[in-house]
Amino acid sequence: MVSNAFFLGKGGVGKTTVSAAFALSLARKGKKVLIASLDPAHNLGDVLDAKLSDKPRRVEEGLDALEVDLGSWVDRYLKESKEELKSTYSYNLALNLDSFFDIMKYSPGTEEYAVLWAIEHIRCELAAGYDIVVFDTPPTALSLRFLAMPAISTRWVAELTKLRERILTRRQTITRINPSSPVASSCTDKDSDAVYGKLGSIKGRLAGLQSLFSQESYVAVVVNQDILSISEARRIADELDRIDIPLRAICVNKRGLSDAPWTLDPRLKSSKSFEFDFLRGGLSSRDDLTALDNSGLVADFMAEASKGTA
Amino acid sequence: MQGPGLALYLRKIAGTIAQVNREKAVEFVEFELKELENIFSLLILGGFVGLPSPPAPIAMELFPLMERELKIMLSRSDFAQDPLASLMGLLQVD
Repeated sequence: MVSNAFFLGKGGVGKTTVSAAFALSLARKGKKVLIASLDPAHNLGDVLDAKLSDKPRRVEEGLDALEVDLGSWVDRYLKESKEELKSTYSYNLALNLDSFFDIMKYSPGTEEYAVLWAIEHIRCELAAGYDIVVFDTPPTALSLRFLAMPAISTRWVAELTKLRERILTRRQTITRINPSSPVASSCTDKDSDAVYGKLGSIKGRLAGLQSLFSQESYVAVVVNQDILSISEARRIADELDRIDIPLRAICVNKRGLSDAPWTLDPRLKSSKSFEFDFLRGGLSSRDDLTALDNSGLVADFMAEASKGTA
Repeated sequence: MQGPGLALYLRKIAGTIAQVNREKAVEFVEFELKELENIFSLLILGGFVGLPSPPAPIAMELFPLMERELKIMLSRSDFAQDPLASLMGLLQVD
């Protein structure tokens, strides 16, 4: 069932404005909505005219908002891993854990995983209290990386699991033939092998996130009437295809800002498109968001959301 | 040597041959197992020496559970000297 919405797009196209207006419309229709900003350069609070933190804060009746602090998620994860490692390898301080973990903070993939942990936290701990969760995403590069991460990691975990199964099979063989072998004292079956168990739990978590992205989410790309944002939207559509995440809608924002002739790229025409006028008066309060007529987008989302419950 | 004595003797020889073969078979599987465990460790930690590896956070989740594999990898480094010695150097394992 679709109960999440992600708004992707090039920096500056108006993802935060469109997602905030979308969340506000749903809340004013009586839905309980949580909007979460995953963008490290947060401005959701400015758009909603409220001071936000990494915990849900009531913006108005039916609408809560939060700004995910990716840095604190990285620190929290590294602290937990460090404690676990220290308890296992306490005898071997030669590993110089502190400097090792300082490096881990900047390791490729850590920021993408921090986004995933935050989404997982919202999904498991917070989403139950809401009808819909709306995600305002970071610019394209990071968004595509974290959306692709479950699919990529799942392939790795599948290969590692196969290798682990071969290891366990060999251990069983040795133990059966020669019970006095030192191998016999190590784990020989899947149930008692901690590494195999951990691979299984990682696989389960990744499958949950992949399901959230591909089956439980309404993914929309926000574009402007310009070549740059359209080109990027085309790349996003290609990448989403590759990782089996359906692109449900194209939101053409700031319509009327330019008089230049413009047509939507044929590649994007397979998704529904919705157009929003450029707000000439700007945004000075939360109510200004209602000037963005998103009734078509909201109706389409509600239709998708009701499919799973019908 | 005749009758039951010969049969017992032959059975003993057959048993010894079977035992030797079993031990040889286990030796081979043990060697293969150590190599598999070494490869498993290298796949997990390979990112630190430029080998393709899973995203670092996955490696970090498995790392605390891999004491045996890490010991095997360390002992294997005696055979494969330079590349693994570099890896250990990078991890500052003396």
